[in-house]
Amino acid sequence: MINRQQLARVFVDALTDQLVVTGIGNACNDVYAAGDRALNFYMRGSMGAAVPIAFGLARARPNDRVICVEGDGSVLMNLGALATVGSYAPDNLMIVILDNSAYQITGGQPTHTAAGIDLAAVARGCGIESASRVGTLGDFETALDQILGAPGPHVLVAQVDRTLSDPKLFQPRRPALIKYRFMGRIGTLEDVRRLVWD
Amino acid sequence: MAWSDVVLECLKANKVQTIVHIPDTILTELIRRADEDDYFDVLSPTREEEGVGIVCGSYLGGRNGALLMQNSGLGNAANILGSLTVPYQIPMLLLISQRGELGEFNTVQVGMGQALRPTLDGLDIPHFTMEREEEVAKIMTGAIKLAFSTDRPVAVIVSPLLSGGKSL
Repeated sequence: MINRQQLARVFVDALTDQLVVTGIGNACNDVYAAGDRALNFYMRGSMGAAVPIAFGLARARPNDRVICVEGDGSVLMNLGALATVGSYAPDNLMIVILDNSAYQITGGQPTHTAAGIDLAAVARGCGIESASRVGTLGDFETALDQILGAPGPHVLVAQVDRTLSDPKLFQPRRPALIKYRFMGRIGTLEDVRRLVWD
Repeated sequence: MAWSDVVLECLKANKVQTIVHIPDTILTELIRRADEDDYFDVLSPTREEEGVGIVCGSYLGGRNGALLMQNSGLGNAANILGSLTVPYQIPMLLLISQRGELGEFNTVQVGMGQALRPTLDGLDIPHFTMEREEEVAKIMTGAIKLAFSTDRPVAVIVSPLLSGGKSL
């Protein structure tokens, strides 16, 4: 099992100009704690919606690469979204699933992956051929390195532990600010992009 | 021009390029014509909630979008509209075909039909109902302008008075 804070640091260090959408809960907290960037879109709620958002973003930005970071519980809540991704097969989309087999932020209740449900196999069944599962940090680094440069869609399931980021760490809490910063950075809102911020 | 053609013309004229739809009898012709038009990116998700997420992502990427669904779908999408679209100030057009009122034959359609407007009101989503062909262009254009100028979701409801509803 992979220490999830170490994984987040490896992930953020590997990023260049990819657009990142993080799901509710620790997926958001981990990526934020490992290194904030304006190209990150953080979700504050709407469990299960990170994959559809990333898919819509990938359709609208065919020349950018989009990475979704989502937890196993959220993916299970909206499994149909994997079928949509498999069906349209956007080559610029990659989904990293942090699988700790638990609904950690609500008290650690087990998810169905605790009973052996394999989300990489589900993804392959949905037509996403590049879908794998890793259980060590070294394997994660190797797999991430391979798929960052290869046409997708990809699903990478990482079996992680339940090590939390510092709960006292500041987190972005204003949804509109998250949106405007993201869109201002990629230039999809001209008036925001032109504002002077300091 | 049929009302569905006017709707498509208004979407195109106002640069609403992403059309996400959940299958619906009343919207069949609209979906078919959108599919034939290369201007639109027409996408079919598995569920309305997923559709809202896709339209949001598309908007973040610079492409305005609309979600087409039956009023039953609003129930499936209520949480994401209240927790993503509204608080993140993400504009989109919701085009909702109305079941469960004038001429309805199916008992199970009435519940969400009755809950449609109270749900939109509760979510703070403005809504307008198209009943006559001659008002389609004005309502569509006005709703799109309201949504994308003020960064909020706006709903346009297709009344059975316009669509003829669905028959047995």
